[in-house]
Amino acid sequence: MDDMEDDTTIFSTLKSFKSFISCPDRSLLETEPAFGRSGLQNLYTKRVELEEAAERVRSHTSLLQLTQEKQQMELSHKRARIELEKEANSSSRDLQREIDRNRELLLQIRHLKEREEKANQELNEQVENNKALKRNFEELHKKANEKDSKLAEADQMISELKDETRRLNQQIQIQESKFSTQNLEIQALQEQLDVQRKKFQDVSQRYQNLQSSHSTSTESELKMKELERRLALQEQDSVIVKNMKSEVARLPELEREIKRLREENTFLRETKENNSLLREETEGLRRKLERVERVMEEKLKVELEKEKLEHELQAWENIGQSTGLNIRKPEDLSREVIQIQQRELNLKQQNYTLNSSIRSVEKTRTELMPEIAQLRAKAQEEQKKRENQDSLVRRLQKRVLLLTKERDGMRAILESYDSELAASEYSPQLMLRVKEAEDMLRKVQTHNTEMETQLSKAQEEAGTFKLQAQMVTAELEALKEQQVSNTEKNTLATAEEVSSLRQKIEELEAERQQLEEQNNILEMRLERHNLQGDYDPVKTKVVHLQMNPTSIAKQQRTEEVEQLRVECQRLRDRLRKIEADGVMTTDDTTLIIPPSQEILNLRKQMESAELKNQRLKEVFQKKIQEFRTACYVLTGYQIDITVENQYRLTSVYAEHMEDSLLFKLTFSVHGKSEVLQFAV
Amino acid sequence: MSKTLKGITLKGSAELVAEFFSFGINSILYQRGIYPAETFTRVTQYDMSLQLTTDAKLKNYLTNVISQLKEWLFDCTVQKLVVVITCLETNEVLERWQFDIECDKTAKESSAPREKSIKAIQEEIRSVIRQITATVTFLPLLETACAFDLLIYTDKDLEVPEQWEESGPQLIDQSEEILGKNQVTWLLSFSPSSRELLTWF
Repeated sequence: MDDMEDDTTIFSTLKSFKSFISCPDRSLLETEPAFGRSGLQNLYTKRVELEEAAERVRSHTSLLQLTQEKQQMELSHKRARIELEKEANSSSRDLQREIDRNRELLLQIRHLKEREEKANQELNEQVENNKALKRNFEELHKKANEKDSKLAEADQMISELKDETRRLNQQIQIQESKFSTQNLEIQALQEQLDVQRKKFQDVSQRYQNLQSSHSTSTESELKMKELERRLALQEQDSVIVKNMKSEVARLPELEREIKRLREENTFLRETKENNSLLREETEGLRRKLERVERVMEEKLKVELEKEKLEHELQAWENIGQSTGLNIRKPEDLSREVIQIQQRELNLKQQNYTLNSSIRSVEKTRTELMPEIAQLRAKAQEEQKKRENQDSLVRRLQKRVLLLTKERDGMRAILESYDSELAASEYSPQLMLRVKEAEDMLRKVQTHNTEMETQLSKAQEEAGTFKLQAQMVTAELEALKEQQVSNTEKNTLATAEEVSSLRQKIEELEAERQQLEEQNNILEMRLERHNLQGDYDPVKTKVVHLQMNPTSIAKQQRTEEVEQLRVECQRLRDRLRKIEADGVMTTDDTTLIIPPSQEILNLRKQMESAELKNQRLKEVFQKKIQEFRTACYVLTGYQIDITVENQYRLTSVYAEHMEDSLLFKLTFSVHGKSEVLQFAV
Repeated sequence: MSKTLKGITLKGSAELVAEFFSFGINSILYQRGIYPAETFTRVTQYDMSLQLTTDAKLKNYLTNVISQLKEWLFDCTVQKLVVVITCLETNEVLERWQFDIECDKTAKESSAPREKSIKAIQEEIRSVIRQITATVTFLPLLETACAFDLLIYTDKDLEVPEQWEESGPQLIDQSEEILGKNQVTWLLSFSPSSRELLTWF
C-alpha cells in the first residue's frame, strides 16, 4: 500500500511538472497580443522562467528522496514479516500444549461429577432417617408434656385445699375473738345503763323542785307589778290635786280682773261712737279741700288762657297792619287764605303734570339709548369692515403689481433663454415655467375677482345699514313727536296711577328691606352653624375611619366593665359561700386571692383547741366515772349532789331509792366545814 | 363657646398641609393629655421642638388618615378636618378642633409655580402651632378618660375606600356650652399645585 501511495504521489508530481512545462509556452503566447509592452515585461518573464526551473529542480530532489524512503520502507517491511512468522510458530506450539491440558482437565471433571452423585444419594438416605427419628422424638415429647400437666393440676388442687383449711381456721379464731369482745361490751353497757337510770331519777327530782320555785317566783312578780301600778296612779292623783289647789287659789284674782275689764268695755264703746263721728267730719272736710284746690288750679289755667288769647287777638289785629292787605275782619283773612290755597293747588297740578311728562320722556330716552348704542356699534363695525376691505384692496393691488412685475421678469428670462440656446434640451423646463406662471396669473385673477365681489357686497351692506339707520332716526323723531302729543292728553289720568304706583313702590321697598334683614340674620346663623361644624347634607358628607381610637377605646371600656362585673359576681358568690359554710372552698380554681396564712393558722389552732377540749371532757368523764364507781365499791355508799352544798349518800344495801342520807356541807372562809345531818 | 380665629390662614401645597396636620394633631393630643406624656418623644420640625407619639397603633392610624387626606387635598375634595374629643364614660363630645379648608381650584391648572422661601412657610406654620398651644391655656382640664376621633368633611359624591365610613358631625350640644365644652375653629386655605404660601391677611 505504501508503494502504491508513493507511486501515486510520484505520478501526480510528474503530471504537475508536465503541466507546468506546458504553461509557460501559453504565457509566452498570451503576451504577444499585448500592444506597447516594454523590456520590463521580458525581464519579468525571464524571472518567471528561472523560478520555474528552480521548481523543477526541487521536484527532482524530492522525487529522489521519496525513492530512497521507499527502499527503506521495503527493507523494514521484510524484517517485520520474518519476525511475525517466528511469533506465529511459537504461538501455534503454545496452542497445542493448552489443548492437551484441556483434555486432561475434562477427564478429571467427569470423575468428580460421578463422586458427587454418589454422595448426594447417601445424603438423601440419611435425611430420611433423620426425619423418622424426629417424629418419634416428638411423640414421646408430647406424652411427657401431658403427664407434666396432669401432675401440675394435681399440685394445684392440693394447694387450694390447704389454703381453704387455713382460711377456715382463721375465720374460726376471728369469730371466737369477736365473741369474747362482744361479751365484754355487753357487760360495760349494762353498767352504763344502771348509771344512766340513776342520773335520770336525780334529774327528774331536780326538775320538779325547779318547777315549784318557778311558779312561786311568777306569783311574786305579778304582785310586784300590781303594786307598781297602784303607786303610779297615786302619784298622778297627787299631781292633779296640787294643780287644783293652785287654780282654786287664783279664783278671787280672776273675779277682780273681770270687773275691771267690763268697766273698760263700756268706756271703750262710748269712745268708739265718738270716733266714728269725728272720722266722718274729717272726710267731709278733706273732700271740700280737694274741690277748692281743683277750682283754684282751673282758675289759674283760665287766667293763663285768657292772657294768651288776648295776645293772639292783638297779634291777629296786627297782622292786618303788617301784611298790608285789606284785612279788618277774620272773614277777609279766610278769603285770602282760600285764594292762596287755590293758587297752591293749581301750581301743584302743573307740577305733577310736568313731572310725569319728564319721566315718560326719560323712559323713552332710556329705551332708545340702547338702540342707539347698538346702531352706533353696527356703524362702527361697518366702518371697520370697510377699512379692512380697503386695506385688502390695497394689498391686492400691490400683489397685482408684484405679479405683473414677476410676469415681466419671467417673460424676459424666457426670451433670454430663447435667444441663447438653440438646443432643444431645456425647452421642456421653460415650458413648465411658463405654465406655472400662467397658473399663477389665473389664480391671481380669480382672487381679484373674489375680492371685487366681496367689496361690492360690503358696499351693499353698508348701504343697507345706512338706510336702516335713517329709518330708525326717522322713527325716533316720529316717536318723540307722538310722545309729546301723548303727554299733553294723559296728564290728569296718570296722576292717580302715579300716586298708587308710588305707594306700591314704597311698600315694596319696605318689604325688600325686611327681606334683606332676614337674609342677613339667616346668613349669620348659617355662618355660626358652619363654624360650629354644621354642614349641608346635599353637598358634603362627613367620613372617618371605622377603626378609630374612640371606637376602640369604647370597646375596650365595655369589655373591662364586663370583666369587672363578672369578677364582682364571683366574689359575691364566694363571700356568700364563706359566710354559709365557714370553710374555704377550693372548687373555685379561677380565684386569684389565696387564703391567708393567719386564717389557716387560726383555724388549725381552733381545731386543735376543740379537740383538746373534747378529749379533756372525755378523760374527765371517764375519770369521774371511775372514781365514783371506786368510791361506791370501796366505801359502800354512793355520793350524789342534789342541791348546792347538799350531798346525798345511798348505801349499797338500800332497798329503795328514797333510803338515803342527806348532808349539808359549807366551806367557810376560815377553813372550817360544818356537817349537818338529817335523815330522810 | 365656639371661638373662631379669623384671619389665620395657611396656604401651601398638599404635602405641606398634610404634614402640618400630622404635627398639629400630635401636639393637640399631647397638650390635652389624651395619651400619657411618656408616650411622646420630642422631634425638631419647622425650627421648633414638637411632640410626636411613639405608640405604634396610634402612628399607624395617623399615617392612614394623613395619607388619604393628602390625596383628597390634592383633588380639592376636602372641606374640613375636625378633631373630636369625647369622654369615654358619658360618651359626650367635650371638644372640637375644626380646621376649615379652602382650596383654590383654579390654581391647579395655573402656570409654573412660584417658590417662596422655606423660612416664610415655616414661620407661618410655627405661628399656627403656637396658636394651638395658646388656646390650650384657657381651656379647662380634661379630668375623665377621653378618646379622640378624626372627621373629614368631603364632597357628597366622593368615593371613599372601604375602611372609611360615614358618620355624624358630632356637634357639641348647644345647651352644654356653659359647662366648659369648647370648639376652636381655624380657617385654612391652600392651592394644591403651587408651592407658594401666600401672604397673611
